[in-house]
Amino acid sequence: MSVTDVEAPARRAAKPVRKPPRKPRPAPGAKRFSPLRVLGSTIVWLFTAGNILVLYWLLTASFKTPVEIFTKPFDLPYQWFKVGKPFRNFIYAWNNAGFGEAVLTTVVLVGLATVVTVAVSAPCAYALTRLGVRGAGPMTNVVAIGMGVPFQTVIIPLFVVLSKVHLDNEYGLFVLYVALSIPFTVFLMTGFFRSLPDELEEAAALDGASPTRTFFSVMLPLTRGGMITALTLNAIGLWNETLLAIVFLKDQAHFTLSRALFTFYGAASYQSEYGGLIAGVAIVVLPMLVLYLVLARRIITGLTLGAGK
Amino acid sequence: MATVTTPITPPARAVKAGAHLSRKKRLFWPFAAPALVLYLAFLVLPTIATVVLSFTSWAGAGDTPEPNGVTNYTQMWASDSFQYAFRNTLIYVFLGGIGTFALAFLFTMVLRDMKGGKIVRAILFFPNIVAPVALGMFLGFVFKYQPGKQGLANYVLESLGADAAKFLAPSNVTGVVTASLIWASSGFYITILMAAVDRIPPYLYEDAELGGASPWQKFKNITLPMTWDVVGVAGVLWTINALKIFELVFVLAGPGTYAPPNEAWTLGIYVFDRTFGSNGTPDFGAACACAVAMIVLVSVLVVLLRRLMRRDAIQF
Repeated sequence: MSVTDVEAPARRAAKPVRKPPRKPRPAPGAKRFSPLRVLGSTIVWLFTAGNILVLYWLLTASFKTPVEIFTKPFDLPYQWFKVGKPFRNFIYAWNNAGFGEAVLTTVVLVGLATVVTVAVSAPCAYALTRLGVRGAGPMTNVVAIGMGVPFQTVIIPLFVVLSKVHLDNEYGLFVLYVALSIPFTVFLMTGFFRSLPDELEEAAALDGASPTRTFFSVMLPLTRGGMITALTLNAIGLWNETLLAIVFLKDQAHFTLSRALFTFYGAASYQSEYGGLIAGVAIVVLPMLVLYLVLARRIITGLTLGAGK
Repeated sequence: MATVTTPITPPARAVKAGAHLSRKKRLFWPFAAPALVLYLAFLVLPTIATVVLSFTSWAGAGDTPEPNGVTNYTQMWASDSFQYAFRNTLIYVFLGGIGTFALAFLFTMVLRDMKGGKIVRAILFFPNIVAPVALGMFLGFVFKYQPGKQGLANYVLESLGADAAKFLAPSNVTGVVTASLIWASSGFYITILMAAVDRIPPYLYEDAELGGASPWQKFKNITLPMTWDVVGVAGVLWTINALKIFELVFVLAGPGTYAPPNEAWTLGIYVFDRTFGSNGTPDFGAACACAVAMIVLVSVLVVLLRRLMRRDAIQF
């Protein structure tokens, strides 16, 4: 029971206005000057300011000319607004690096892959946690170990087999994205299913619901928060994924964003097309930033559930 | 006769419950199979195939794998590129890990009773949602060395009156990547550790404050023991992630879409370059051997870490 629970009624009962008890005053000398606290707060603020500056730099540089980027890194991008073509860099990246098509490919691919991943992983996580089957615990661990396998170690056999069946394209990549996201998603979802009370399932069974129905109408809706977290984390991960996209996508018309950015990097560096390059980086980063701002709390609870307990 | 009558009819309700339970269990395979099959087909089997292929000589598509024992491993071990890759990967895991966790611990000491702590956490987490490719490119701009067109870091150095430094020269690049890695990933570990710190009952800290404990004492006697198991999990996650680092180094240290200089390689780059690299002929056998080295390294490090971190769990 926390302190406030105890105090609230007491305060109401005592009619003569009594000040609510303050937080205990620290012992004399407790708030003494601590070099660690000063050092720590300084580093924290410097770090935070640095991150904000990075974001500011990225945003403004995407509207600047290469000369401005390098000679006036902290100024606002005034030249393009003066010339009147503020989105020149974005237009360049969109047209010359094929970002327009890449956005569509990425959204469809990442969207479908995350949805299918969760659709496949949620029943599996439920089966592993709540069906009371022997050996489910060790099986969960076996799946969780998959999170530790670096993609590099599976990429060669997968590449050989998938190119043999002509799936070294976005369809093959879709299957790979789903399959390789499964360990993490199952692990995350088992955490959510485990946290649900048994009584709900028992109540559903007493009401005559079949196990399948119990899952779809009672248990699954209760893990909606978990599913949103899993969708978000997978979306961020797959949106940023580059290694598999580099290996499996050959046709420029079906590049994902990160893959297109990777190709663009080489070309743009030679042409000193830094404005377009920064705009490309911004196109990849900003949607995820928005997603993060909207769903920050879910992302963090998901991570803690996955990593914490 | 007795044997015929023995099937004891249990009470009706128990029958129902038992039937329900077995119906539940029948659900297991239809529910679990799709995910498990995909897991088996795309992670377990390829891993086994990689191990097998690492003992063959195989130039890649068009060639057939020929068994050649441990030749790949001995050749790989003797090669400069592997030694650089191995050394750099260990640097990222250990130096990067020490830096990241030192920073994360420092933050847990001050962030708890700091105003705006939640916002600070959200801001610090931000580099983790950026694609490693984009992050590498961005850092390439920051550390760019080109007189007259200096990157952000050199711009600041020069405006302070110092000389510009060649941050991305092959001999410096590992240090720069390590620092970048610490910057980019500390937010993730701060987030995890702070979430664990939030679960610690506040009266412990209040008590310590009454006793006049310093931030360090509070950290040593409350925070660290109470979050020990989360620290352990975070350590494992770090090891796994730092070991497979690839895109960040590839883009930051390289001239573009070609592999960076050997001095900057990681194990991930070694595998990639031997399979799909643009310089030199592909050598799938050597790539598989390096991939196996990665698995072995990650397993050894994780097991060691778990050993070292083993403590009796504190219930609270």
